[in-house]
Amino acid sequence: MSAQTRLEPFLAFSSRVTAFTVFELQGTGQAAAYLETVVGVVGEALLGDLLSIDEAIQREADGDAAVRDRLLRARIFSDERLGPVARHIIKLWYLGTWYALPKDWHEVFGSVEDDVTFVVSAAAYAEGLVWPAIGANPPGAKGPGYGTWAMPPKIPAF
Amino acid sequence: MTLSRITTKADLQDYLHAAMQLEHATIPPYLTALYSIHPGTNSDAFHVIRVVAVEEMLHLTLAANMLNAVGGEPDMTRAGFVPRYPAYLPDGEADFEVSLERFSPTAIGTFLKIERPAQAPSEEMRVLRRPKPRAAIPAVHPDGDDGLHFWSIGEFYAEIARGIQHLHDQGVDLFTGDPSRQVTPELYYSGGGEVIPVKDLASALAAVELISEQGEGLTGSIYDEEGELSHYFRFQQLTLGRYYQAGDVANSPTGPALEVDWDAVYPLLTNATITDFPAGSEVRAAAEAFNAGYAEFLSLVNQAFTGQPDLLIPAVGEMFALRDQVGRLVRNPAPGRPGVNAAPTFDMPETTR
Repeated sequence: MSAQTRLEPFLAFSSRVTAFTVFELQGTGQAAAYLETVVGVVGEALLGDLLSIDEAIQREADGDAAVRDRLLRARIFSDERLGPVARHIIKLWYLGTWYALPKDWHEVFGSVEDDVTFVVSAAAYAEGLVWPAIGANPPGAKGPGYGTWAMPPKIPAF
Repeated sequence: MTLSRITTKADLQDYLHAAMQLEHATIPPYLTALYSIHPGTNSDAFHVIRVVAVEEMLHLTLAANMLNAVGGEPDMTRAGFVPRYPAYLPDGEADFEVSLERFSPTAIGTFLKIERPAQAPSEEMRVLRRPKPRAAIPAVHPDGDDGLHFWSIGEFYAEIARGIQHLHDQGVDLFTGDPSRQVTPELYYSGGGEVIPVKDLASALAAVELISEQGEGLTGSIYDEEGELSHYFRFQQLTLGRYYQAGDVANSPTGPALEVDWDAVYPLLTNATITDFPAGSEVRAAAEAFNAGYAEFLSLVNQAFTGQPDLLIPAVGEMFALRDQVGRLVRNPAPGRPGVNAAPTFDMPETTR
């Protein structure tokens, strides 16, 4: 599967697990870089499995959010192999940083050469979802204007 | 009104309304090109465009100060203040239109026309007549459009300077505005130069001179009095691929080479309007939210220009929030248009009041 055809299911999954819309995820400008990061660390096969299960969950839940959340927890987040990766995809979107997978994961599923903690790019730091989530600007980037620190933060509704 | 020679105080106020509209009209095109650039790329081009855009914001503020000083009432919320792009500039430059489009050689070509040096190539070119423009701006181009059309922004401001001096010489009581309406330097932070409160002939002419020099340089020089390169030559660096440095003459920069990557740009839909995005889509909702936010922002700035100058501080905060909204729009594909990205449309409601 090409990166381009992978992007849509990757964004759909990411939207469900971050609580940000696909528009907002695309709006970070980081979607392609993050997909490349995940594929680069855990490989096509694992990500393919994760996204296939996510798509099956969507079909089965058929729009019922409670069912969907239960199935996501049961089949992805509780899965020994996929769970840690899914959690690190969430952290990737929120912080712009890929966090190395836990030692336990490596012991079971083998070492992955590129699995180290790294900031994807300077732009990724500034585009982390943590900043809009708390109504703040990333320190050192996206300056919000003189004196705005005296005003209450604007926190989006989720 | 028509733009005829300034012979009365009312004429001068009309010109200053047009000046505010003119300064503002350049900003959406500059910002659209600026934020179409991929973050982290084209640092040279990004900074060149940004500096010019921010100086236009200073010029807008200076025009508001001048209008307030002569007893006028700025109104950036009236219908038609924000043009529908593509648009002719409100000073009547008739030979080109300005578009909302991505950073490209075409866009820079237009920016060079916006900022072209004052003197028309010939006297016949200076005052142009033309058919009623498609994107006419009501305040400036009435039916039967028979006013003056300026060759350049510089010539437009030269007429304002002449008019101010003329009225002063005639003994007209010009500076009757409430001084508390002036935007003063402590409210204007890091925005393209120091704002000049206008209260008399000297400060009015200084404000006109600052606008003209930042735009086109001192007469016969590519630099202004502060040694800053004028807008036209800043943009020209992008087409020539080289920076100007002190001692250079027009058209022959000898400074460091400048790299432009015309491909590191989001492929924005040119002159997008709100109906280009399908109703119900996230892009449509975001584009509408941007337009509503922009209308509110203009309204807030207008309140700052009409008696509550302190509101400029929160207005600037709103401006940066709008910047981030534009960033999200331009990175999203336009629904149903493969290979094309969304863009801010700057469609305003009939009146934003």
